[in-house]
Amino acid sequence: MTSGVRTSILGLVFAALLGVLVLRLWTMQVTDAEAYETRALHNQVRIVPTPAPRGDIFDANMVKLAGTRSALAAVVDLALVENGELEMLSRNLAAFLDEDSASILDDLENARGPQVTVARDLTEYQATFLAEHRETFPGVNIVPQPIRVYPLGEVGAHVLGYIGRPTAEDLERENVNGNTNVGKAGVEAFYDEQLLGTEGLVQYQVDAERKVLSLAAEEAPTAGGSLVLTIDIEAQAQLQQSLKDGLLLARSDEMEQRASELAKQSIAERLVEAQIEAEEQARQDAIADASTAEESSATDPGVDDDDVVLDPEPVKVDPATVLASLYPGLPIDSNGVCVPVQRVTVPLGGDASLSGVDPRFIRLDSIADTDGTLFATFTIGQEKFTVKDNQSFASTLQVLEVQEDKVILYHLDKWCPVRAVGTVLDPTDGSVIAMASYPSYDPTAFVDGLSDDQWAELSTVSAFQNFAVQGLYAPASTFKTVPYVLAMEENYYPMDRGLGDKQLVDDEQEGLPSVPLTSDTDEYNCSGEFKFELNDGTTQTKRDWLSRGHGGLDLHGALVESCDLYFWDIALRLWEERKDDSGLDKENLLQKYARDFGFGTASGIDLPFERDGLVPDRAWFQAEQSADSPRVRPDGPWVGGDLMDIAVGQGAMLTTPLQMANGYAAMVNGGTLFEPRVVSHIVDSEGNTIETLPTTIVREIDISPRTVQWLRADLQRVVNDLGSADKYGGTGKSAFYDSRGTNIFGEGVETIGGKTGTGEVIKSPGSEAFREVDNAWFIGVAPINNPEFVVSIVVERGGSGGRVAAPIARQVLQYLMNGPEGVTELRAGLDAD
Amino acid sequence: MAIDYRDTKPISFMHREAPLKPDLILVLTYIVITAFGLLMIYSATAPGLESRGLDPTGELKEQAIFVVIGFIVFGIVSWMDLTEIRGFTTPIYFVSVLLLVLVFLVGESGRGDVAVRWIDIGFLRFQPSEVAKVAVILALASLLAAVEPPLRWITIAKSLLIVGLPAGLIFLQPDLGTMLVFAFVLIAMLFVGGATARQLAFLAVATIIATVGVFQLNLIRDYQINRLTAFVDPGAHELTLSYNQIQSEIAIGSGGMFGKGLFEGSQTNLQFVPVQSSDFIFTAVGEQFGFVGSAVVIALIGIMLWRLLMIAQRARNRFGYLVTMGVAAMLAFHVFINIGMTVRIMPVTGLPLPFMSSGGTFFVVMSAALGLAHSSWIRRPPAPGEGPTT
Repeated sequence: MTSGVRTSILGLVFAALLGVLVLRLWTMQVTDAEAYETRALHNQVRIVPTPAPRGDIFDANMVKLAGTRSALAAVVDLALVENGELEMLSRNLAAFLDEDSASILDDLENARGPQVTVARDLTEYQATFLAEHRETFPGVNIVPQPIRVYPLGEVGAHVLGYIGRPTAEDLERENVNGNTNVGKAGVEAFYDEQLLGTEGLVQYQVDAERKVLSLAAEEAPTAGGSLVLTIDIEAQAQLQQSLKDGLLLARSDEMEQRASELAKQSIAERLVEAQIEAEEQARQDAIADASTAEESSATDPGVDDDDVVLDPEPVKVDPATVLASLYPGLPIDSNGVCVPVQRVTVPLGGDASLSGVDPRFIRLDSIADTDGTLFATFTIGQEKFTVKDNQSFASTLQVLEVQEDKVILYHLDKWCPVRAVGTVLDPTDGSVIAMASYPSYDPTAFVDGLSDDQWAELSTVSAFQNFAVQGLYAPASTFKTVPYVLAMEENYYPMDRGLGDKQLVDDEQEGLPSVPLTSDTDEYNCSGEFKFELNDGTTQTKRDWLSRGHGGLDLHGALVESCDLYFWDIALRLWEERKDDSGLDKENLLQKYARDFGFGTASGIDLPFERDGLVPDRAWFQAEQSADSPRVRPDGPWVGGDLMDIAVGQGAMLTTPLQMANGYAAMVNGGTLFEPRVVSHIVDSEGNTIETLPTTIVREIDISPRTVQWLRADLQRVVNDLGSADKYGGTGKSAFYDSRGTNIFGEGVETIGGKTGTGEVIKSPGSEAFREVDNAWFIGVAPINNPEFVVSIVVERGGSGGRVAAPIARQVLQYLMNGPEGVTELRAGLDAD
Repeated sequence: MAIDYRDTKPISFMHREAPLKPDLILVLTYIVITAFGLLMIYSATAPGLESRGLDPTGELKEQAIFVVIGFIVFGIVSWMDLTEIRGFTTPIYFVSVLLLVLVFLVGESGRGDVAVRWIDIGFLRFQPSEVAKVAVILALASLLAAVEPPLRWITIAKSLLIVGLPAGLIFLQPDLGTMLVFAFVLIAMLFVGGATARQLAFLAVATIIATVGVFQLNLIRDYQINRLTAFVDPGAHELTLSYNQIQSEIAIGSGGMFGKGLFEGSQTNLQFVPVQSSDFIFTAVGEQFGFVGSAVVIALIGIMLWRLLMIAQRARNRFGYLVTMGVAAMLAFHVFINIGMTVRIMPVTGLPLPFMSSGGTFFVVMSAALGLAHSSWIRRPPAPGEGPTT
């Protein structure tokens, strides 16, 4: 190869290299030029979304419940901060804003977008200072940002909901970026799309250092729509006040009951009695064991039976178990009134005091890590306990979390009234006039983010949840209107059990009645105890809430006095005739009526997280059983007793307070089941209606006007029938009339109807009042002849419906019917189902 | 075409055999590229300087001084006799090696650069590695000119030593780009110098092994690896490592067929391309003058390379031939690596674009190198028909 050839070869290599460059330039500058032009264009402009003002929320009378105010926020533009500067920046910000530097750094490092809001509501001085010290706070921009305000605080909180930082999922939505707050609960969440509005855009011409050179283009944001609620905020405020007062009344009432119980017999006496009882029991058990042993050893001749000495082990009774709600170690507040739960933090090696009538000290001795699980050892008095997460101990304590250097405990009183929930519904169109759950919260607290302490305090009592739609409760006797309507509509009454002289001996087979009552006015023997035989041959006994019995009652009297037997018997008859040839599916007839009135299905209200409730039946029961659900017994079939439980709203039956109100609304308005709603229409910033949310009818239930007339009349008697020497009268009367029969409601008490309910939470085998825990219900209807309001009240662990729930409903009804001046003082009624 | 492989005797100024005529095409191309380069430097630096309240012509003026120095150096070297220069090969080589050692003792980093490449001698700062490029070309040419092809293995070994010493020092700076230039120039010169196929194969294998070894032994600093991996996957390093390359690509691509026009380039005016006036000067061409402008610049470089090959062919002796080929190889490789980097077909190595990039030492050194080749042309043996002038 000559040098000339080699020169040429190298020349070709040069040509090839240059050729490659030209080809590459061709593809970039000719073929793909457009794509690069777009990218160059994007390079030069910085697009900053301008947040749309979130829509306001008004009540039915256009009182502002939620609004937006403009504030100055400090936003870090991460593109302007060098990586190494982040720590310095967060330190400086923390020092200036008096916040935690680690959490600011965490926010910056784990940012979901290029811009991070580090402070939402700066004072003018703070804003100026930050803007003027760019070298100390690199990348910090001061931008106007809207802040949500809820001028009325806690009033309406559960309906309004609250807003908060968007989740990763939210960021996928249109008009949501890392700095947009989105609705998290209530109508803020349900109508988030409508409230958000459309983001605007500002395009800036920028250079490579992202320095803004000029304004390139601007697209103004469109404000979100404003919601107009069906809520009347004045009624709402009254409802919340009544719920709060009612719950506190229930608690102090609970304390009084405990005190009067202790007045009958002291703690010491009870403990001695329990000790004697337990020893006696132990002795008998030992004898039983010994005789069993004797029997089994009889075949063994080598043992001398006569020398068996009965020496039972020493018996110890647990005071907390024996005394139940009378136990002096249960938590109390500063007023000496019970509280359902207190959070206690015990530092390692330190003490904490446990409140109570008889306060105790708890000491956290040590924390040990065993196979990754932390165990804490406590000393209370002389006793030592070693416990881990979720474990209960020392009768009233439950471990929430064992941490490295401390333990957080719940100090619990499972008898103390915990919550009051209420709903006011307009039965003519399903509009919610008021809805609340207490304990509550101030949604404004979410604007700046709740502190850990605030969060812990509120979440311990589930204050963020709207129990009117999220709480599930056994409806108890308030549900009796459903079998009542069934009886009226189907002409289906219980078996005649005789009256007076005719009273039958229940447990004698031949004596059992075989003829049903034929009309709603036929009298039924409503005694205090109900014995019945099931298909499997066993006899069961159920007791009425009024142990002395009600005497003879027709269907109407049975509802007024809330006679359990009448409705049990309807269910029992349905059960026994379930296989007859009437063509009716009697086994599921009661459930069908319940479902028609909206039970077992979410009402469809425009609020998030609504629950379905449950109307149990055989199919459900079997499905649960095969899934090993703890909600049903592990074996045995669906029986008549289950159906009887449903008839009085017990067993597995569950409803929300809203469902209950809505079901009653349908019964008293003639059979129209509405979809409840809290928003009536959406308006723009000038007040023009953008969208009207129509009244929606779920179904028309075919019930006769006669049934409706009778039901209204009977509900009216629940409140207004004062009874007589041998008749108890209406179970709700004591909230509306004092013991002398004087009207405490005020004008128009005769237009009020209602129904009480007492849902068992913890059954007491010995029927000792201080062991029982009941949910108290009251459903009020007014005015009864042309209903405009249905009020449903639940006091969780409140005791009997007549005692605490009815008085709360009475105040709300007083407000609704007679205005704020009509509201009179809250006081406990009588125990009545 | 006959080439005299024997080392001819030095011919004095007075005894030239061909007319002392410059290669007008080469000189013209050199001036046009340089002038265009100055314009590009101005367009790339003026907006940034202006926005900082500085003289927009600041960098242009600075570069213009070096251009003048470069032109003078080019003229002087052109008129010097290559054969005389050959006598200074050894001192030039060792002085440049000494300067490279000096970098470690008194060297400084350039702005935004982690490598130490500069020596500040009061009135100017220069990069010894640039000087070393020319020294190595001279030393290699001198070595290879003394032997006849086919080359013996001992010559290969010597040439590796000659390149290895400065390359090793540069590698320690570190300056990967310059090292690659050395490797390419070495292979090109050995190729035209008459290395056998086996020797070339050996060099190719050795280069591969050396490259792999350098990576395996972690001899490369992290930033060098980052630059290389960012080139492979720019998306992963957006806004950080390959930010330069992405912005550079956008600038060139968005130029389109005819470009956005002088001083109309948004990428250039808004300084999206870092170190645009030096390493990324080609983006200013691509954005403002589009494919047409880019192709013209590459064509000018092509013409320059074509002239260098012609000069080599007409060289009076083997030394002149080898020096010219070495200069051509260095120029071609610089251009390919640099423009390749701006269009993202090569990794970022920090090699400037000859005659256009802002940077004093480099311009002067490249002018000197071009002068060496030009000197070979001026003293070429007469072509048929070309009579002696004296």
